[in-house]
Amino acid sequence: MRDPDAVLDADAESIADGRARLIEAELSRAGLGLVLRMGDRGSGLLLDRLVRLLAIRHPRAFVAMREMPDARVLIEPTDARVALLLRVGPELSLRLRPCQARKDGAAATDGMADAVISGPYARLLDLLEGRIDGDALFFRRELSIAGDTALIVALRNTLDGEEMDLLADALSFAGPLASLLPVLRRNAGPLLDRLADARRLLPPPLKWGIARIEARLPGFGPGREA
Amino acid sequence: MDRFELICPAGTPAALRAAVEAGADAVYLGFRDETNARNFPGLNFTRQDLAESIAFAHARRVQVFVAINTYPEAGNLAPWHRAVDDAARLKADAVILADLGLLDYAARTHPELRLHLSVQASAANAEAIRLYRDAFGVRRIVLPRVLTVPEIAKLNAEVDVETEVFVFGGLCPMAEGRCSLSSYATGLSPNKQGVCSPASHVRYEPRGKALASTLGGFTINVFGEGENAGYPTLCKGRFVARDTAAYLFEEPTSLNAMDLLPELKSAGVRALKIEGRQRGKAYIGAVVRAYREALDAFAAGRPVPRIDLQAMVEGGTQTTGAYTRAWR
Ligand code: SF4
Repeated sequence: MRDPDAVLDADAESIADGRARLIEAELSRAGLGLVLRMGDRGSGLLLDRLVRLLAIRHPRAFVAMREMPDARVLIEPTDARVALLLRVGPELSLRLRPCQARKDGAAATDGMADAVISGPYARLLDLLEGRIDGDALFFRRELSIAGDTALIVALRNTLDGEEMDLLADALSFAGPLASLLPVLRRNAGPLLDRLADARRLLPPPLKWGIARIEARLPGFGPGREA
Repeated sequence: MDRFELICPAGTPAALRAAVEAGADAVYLGFRDETNARNFPGLNFTRQDLAESIAFAHARRVQVFVAINTYPEAGNLAPWHRAVDDAARLKADAVILADLGLLDYAARTHPELRLHLSVQASAANAEAIRLYRDAFGVRRIVLPRVLTVPEIAKLNAEVDVETEVFVFGGLCPMAEGRCSLSSYATGLSPNKQGVCSPASHVRYEPRGKALASTLGGFTINVFGEGENAGYPTLCKGRFVARDTAAYLFEEPTSLNAMDLLPELKSAGVRALKIEGRQRGKAYIGAVVRAYREALDAFAAGRPVPRIDLQAMVEGGTQTTGAYTRAWR
């Protein structure tokens, strides 16, 4: 009855989707790096505004996070210089912290947080938006967690119960920039192709120059070397 | 030929929408308390969530079953009674119960409410099933995951009650409702508090390049570098006995009975159930979509496509469980 040759094809749409996602992940990672450079006060004000906005858009999740006991979760990308420190409970807040370098590659709480989730930035973004199955990532060891497991499970379940589009939400207070997002998403594939082609045609010194500039941009490049 | 009904899990309203959109025939879920066997932090439905989710599902001709399948505490029946009353009031299509007293309460108080017997009741023989049907009007039995396909066929031939079997997800290898491993290690059990190996007692610790999982202070497993990790469910622990580390009770494999659709159909099974109310909506969407595709192909007499769900399962391996006996 089972036909071994009838393997399902991945549809073209999901591939285009994946490429748009790539750009989004890069952009938001760089964006976070810039916010970190604003200093504690500036970035704090901006993040407070973001939390207020998200709470209006996703009341169910934010009420649930405020009802949780006071605790801190560090969301730490292994390939960026910025980590997010989320405080749940009545004093819900979000702050940025520079990533800590770790010898063993495993998450550790260091007393700064009650729990730590760490993994590649793009995966963490997918996870926060509920686009990807966190358990499967954890089973495959692409994500690591440390500290209070119940806190991580509660947070995961709360965020997974929402349909979030963090980048669209974050950009929505950037005024006209927000309207660029759908255009970017539609055109991500051709855009990436053209960029890759253009880069291939560049003379080597220019290619190296671009790579050096990228390396200096906050948010780009692995955080471990920082 | 009657089509199989596809019964899908949801731990949140968003997961319910994902299941409905992926092709579920019915979604099962629980309230946010100890009245259901997946009482995990941040999971499950408030009364308002349930009302909205039922409206969403019914508008798309999908049914909603409410699991109220733990055993009430002595002297504290109110939360369980309230759960049954609210499920009936909000027009759930069925409640899934395990406790005899609660079945009696539901049958007497809400005679129009459809009753399903939870897997937690472990009804595994014709006499037991007949009793549930005759005494309380139970219409469907969710069979424990310890029966083989021939045993299921025999049961269906002997008793006239619909049967539902698990086809995908985590395995609970003991006769359900009778396991005390989690109680022993943590004081909390699936039967009373609705949690097996609760997250509040779980810690993951790096040990050099390896990762150890612990439950209530006991080391349940140590995963080497690159080895797939797992949740420290007690029965899936790797324990050291006579100096050898081995899975003493059960390997951390997941059930996938997609290959057995013809056998389950001939055995007279009415509904196929996917486990995983505690899993995220991405998992639920992917698994339900795969099973919808397989069931549609099967119903149309087409070959069942090979659908890769390997990445989704704990332990990274799949089994046909007790159905083919190899496991038992
Ligand atoms: S320990 Fe294993 S067998 Fe016991 S209830 Fe939990 S999952 Fe089932």
